[in-house]
Amino acid sequence: ALISKGPPYRKLADSLSACRVLVVGAGGIGCELLKNLVLTGFKNIEVIDLDTIDVSNLNRQFLFQKKHVGKSKAQVAKESVLQFCPTANITAYHDSIMNPEYNVEFFRNFMLVMNALDNRAARNHVNRMCLAADIPLIESGTAGYLGQVTVIKKGLTECYECQPKPTQKTFPGCTIRNTPSEPIHCIVWAKYLFNQLFGEEDADQEVSPDTADPELTWNPADTEARATASDQDGDIKRVSTKDWARSTGYDTVKLFNKLFKDDIQYLLTMDKLWKKRKAPLPLDWLEIQKLACPQEVTGTGLKDQQVLGVAGYSQLFSRSVETLRSMLADKGDGAELVWDKDDPPAMDFVTAAANLRMHIFSMNMKSRFDIKSMAGNIIPAIATTNAVIAGLIVLEALKILSGDVEQCRTIFLNKQPNPRKKLLVPCALDPPSANCYVCASKPEVTVKLNVHKTLVLALQDKILKEKFGMVAPDVQIEDGKGTILISSEEGETEANNSKFLSDFGIRHGSRLQVDDFLQDYTLLVNVIHCEDLEKDVEFEVVGDAPDKAPTPPSAQEDKNVANGNKDSAEPSTSSKGDYQTQSFEVSCFVTAVGAIISRSQPPFGPNR
Amino acid sequence: MAATKTAKEQKYDRQLRLWGDHGQEELENAHVCLINSTASGTEILKNLVLPGIGAFTIVDGHKVSGEDVGNNFFLSNNSIGRNRAQAATELLQELNTDVSGNFVEESPDKLLDNDPEFFHRFTLVIGVQLPESTCLRLGSVLWNANVPFLVCRTYGLVGYMRLVVKEHTVIESHPDNALEDLRLDQPFAELKSHIQSYDLEGMGKKDHGHTPWIIIVAKYLEKWFSEHNFQLPKNYKEKEAFKQLIRQGILKNEKGTPEVEENFEEAIKNVNTALNPTKISNGVDDLFNGEQCNDITSQTPAFWVMTRAVREFVQNDGGGNLPVRGSIPDMIADSEKFINLQNVYREKAMQDASVVSKHVESLLQSVGKPSESISEQDIKLFCKNAAFLRVVRCRSLAEEYSVETVNKDAITCSMDGADGEMVLYLMLRSVDRFYQQHSRYPGVYNYQVEEDISKLKLCVNSLLQEYGLNVSVKDDYIHEFCRYGAAEPHTVASFLGGSAAQEAIKLITRQFVPFNNTFVYNAMSQTTATFQL
Repeated sequence: ALISKGPPYRKLADSLSACRVLVVGAGGIGCELLKNLVLTGFKNIEVIDLDTIDVSNLNRQFLFQKKHVGKSKAQVAKESVLQFCPTANITAYHDSIMNPEYNVEFFRNFMLVMNALDNRAARNHVNRMCLAADIPLIESGTAGYLGQVTVIKKGLTECYECQPKPTQKTFPGCTIRNTPSEPIHCIVWAKYLFNQLFGEEDADQEVSPDTADPELTWNPADTEARATASDQDGDIKRVSTKDWARSTGYDTVKLFNKLFKDDIQYLLTMDKLWKKRKAPLPLDWLEIQKLACPQEVTGTGLKDQQVLGVAGYSQLFSRSVETLRSMLADKGDGAELVWDKDDPPAMDFVTAAANLRMHIFSMNMKSRFDIKSMAGNIIPAIATTNAVIAGLIVLEALKILSGDVEQCRTIFLNKQPNPRKKLLVPCALDPPSANCYVCASKPEVTVKLNVHKTLVLALQDKILKEKFGMVAPDVQIEDGKGTILISSEEGETEANNSKFLSDFGIRHGSRLQVDDFLQDYTLLVNVIHCEDLEKDVEFEVVGDAPDKAPTPPSAQEDKNVANGNKDSAEPSTSSKGDYQTQSFEVSCFVTAVGAIISRSQPPFGPNR
Repeated sequence: MAATKTAKEQKYDRQLRLWGDHGQEELENAHVCLINSTASGTEILKNLVLPGIGAFTIVDGHKVSGEDVGNNFFLSNNSIGRNRAQAATELLQELNTDVSGNFVEESPDKLLDNDPEFFHRFTLVIGVQLPESTCLRLGSVLWNANVPFLVCRTYGLVGYMRLVVKEHTVIESHPDNALEDLRLDQPFAELKSHIQSYDLEGMGKKDHGHTPWIIIVAKYLEKWFSEHNFQLPKNYKEKEAFKQLIRQGILKNEKGTPEVEENFEEAIKNVNTALNPTKISNGVDDLFNGEQCNDITSQTPAFWVMTRAVREFVQNDGGGNLPVRGSIPDMIADSEKFINLQNVYREKAMQDASVVSKHVESLLQSVGKPSESISEQDIKLFCKNAAFLRVVRCRSLAEEYSVETVNKDAITCSMDGADGEMVLYLMLRSVDRFYQQHSRYPGVYNYQVEEDISKLKLCVNSLLQEYGLNVSVKDDYIHEFCRYGAAEPHTVASFLGGSAAQEAIKLITRQFVPFNNTFVYNAMSQTTATFQL
């Protein structure tokens, strides 16, 4: 049937010049996409990306060169394309697409929106904006050799949020602070430590021993012993870690001994923790320096891929603290450093601190190369996959613009031809899910929480923003009076933030009407009061919401697809603000539809 | 020097995670020849220049036309009228200063007439938008010179690739879901005595909970063997019984309830895969029995010398098994126990590799080659991957095109659906025939579309007839291919550029397994297929 329709390519070429499109993201896919669009005849293109160019982009983001490092991706991409295709009319925004300026009206300027993003928050947002503006959206993602393209059209197809997505892995604070059992716990700890010492301090990123560990049934008789053991520590905790470090002049030996000896000795006094676990072994700076049989190196090849010994990492720790201290000093008073995996001293620091902690907790140490990929959520990325995916995107775009949305497909790119000899696996688009909490006609969810323990601020930040992807929610209680619980106008309801939900009469069965004006999105939240949520769980979404992702067919596949191309546009997940959602699976497109991918893999799918 | 190394590591970080620094080194040593810098050609080359191949040479006798500028990102308006190879080289070169770009302003046919040996120097030749006659001529030159040849084509909304390589050997095939090589069914002496050094009953609670699962499975396997006449648990029922046996070993507290011992849970979880009997796969066995393995001469490539050496090892030293791989998965255990166990495997792997290395040495000696011609490091890598060795052998273009040797079965079988990708292949062959007869492709000029349809139909029929193919091609496809007018839409070229470069990288790095031998992409339905033609 397809064949008789003829190629849209020529037929469309003329009308394309009049058509205005938006490209969200100017990274790996974005660069390829811009090129493909102008050479297919698109003339009016707007591109937005808040990121700047990094050296590690240059192996695939071909619109950028070494001299552009540090500059705006969107701007340089525009200039490079214009050099080759001077007749194109390109507008570049060095900005976040989640900025309120880019409202529904803005989205209505376009015939089509194409995402070339690397994170779920932005994808959720653009999905809602396109639903609200009723503009078709092409979503895409790559991870190493794998890739995917799909089309979203309001009322006709599933939206980006129709399918449950695997939730991001988070780690309980006490695992990070007291009882790490996997290398990732130590890496997260080291990144927290970086911020505590050099960056923006965050109460959720404590690194010192946690005496409120629920595993410890507090025995007052122990308190005294503990207090003595932690004499020094007690003092430290009253001032902030950063202030203390500063007061020592970032003395590397003092820092080392506090973090890797005193704090560990303190942990050892919490003997309940070590009844079934192997107890940690404190390290002493002097002892290690005495050992100093330097460079017990394992692994071959590049320096980055070698594992140094304890002595090596203690040296690296000391060197990197020195460097970071002077970098901080150079920036002047009150300055902060932002952790970046591509910043060598910052990466050295995390490598050293994480490895020392791994050693203390009897784990096998890891190379800088491996730690970088875990700490920075690095997903391999190559030019070839992006080229393939960008080619597919434009073909889907042509179908949409020629009125053939029905012919569009979700397309999966395999690493190599599958057993049925298919490199590409196209699947028909699914209709919208009736109980999607985003695109259903009256979206509704049920949330289980403890109304006496949940703060209004937690409702806003953790439930409405983080979980349900809103940008600026307004909340009204359906109590007959229309009490405004949260207002997106600055200053109006700030006073409510530190109160509990029950303070406003919210109880089992209460209903909240939540609006996000930017996203033109209204969600009805049913509250179920629950006293016995699991440890470290603040709330649970009941029913068909994202938590109930189907189990993927195998761990291997999960690993392969549960990644995203951290290529572009939105708040980089590797910089500050992301640590609570520290995970191997960054929010991303491929992760997001991981459920779809696993469904359609053999033996589950008819199409492969 | 150190500084440039780090700069490179930074730039190539995201790809080093896929093919490693030795893969990168292969790339940097490669010299790729591209024939015809059309849109598809430059897209392919762009995807090879970015990851940093050593050098490329573009061979192209054409001048840049206005049409070229319209679909090719690496040609600009002011290059119209200049030689296309030169213009494209200049812009591609800008993408990566580590790459050396060269060009030859000559048509491939002329080079084949005057200096066919010109093509022998390349790691890989990529031919784009070649007429059939050139393709066949070049194919035979490269076939005889053992240079891999990747034929690529964008024709309207169809993409096509054909890999022509006599023999491509892959050491690192990166299989998905490979089983670990643990030898629990036939533990080697050092592993046996290491297992014996553990006494699960006699050890303290902490040690019990930190014993690696491999040891646990091995211990209970000894028990199982003694009760089951030295037979592995084979079926589901036996494996369940074996898991139960392990479960009973979990320590119990004073009240008799089992403790939480994650290492035991891990052991139970791994029973299914850990008990797979150690054996040599059919694929590797076939390599051992191949003639390249039997007749080692001074010309034999290192891959086959090492394969033969491993075969000698299997027969003489390994008791019928491959060298031990030497890696174990990460597991719950304290560092000391884990590292000790890891060392048992690692040391055995090193021992095995050095035995293989002795065989390599005497094989080299027997053909009068110095033992250094194959490095220890290569031998180690080879032994580590011995279970995953792959050899890809493609048919030659001559075989595909000859009436005597055409793979009729593959064509007729794939024409079952009438709308599959095979019909697109037949159409490509038909437009080539059209070109031979008319010196142009059908539908290139709009006013000719109608008359070309019937001419193309004649070509289709004569093709089918000549090869005795009892299949039918719908008229729709003939119309469609005339409408294409041999256009090279950029977005299809972009797709092909990505796919072809990916295959090129597989060939150059000798990692992952390239397709064999024909790949067809249908851009309308977004489907692909591979055929062995």
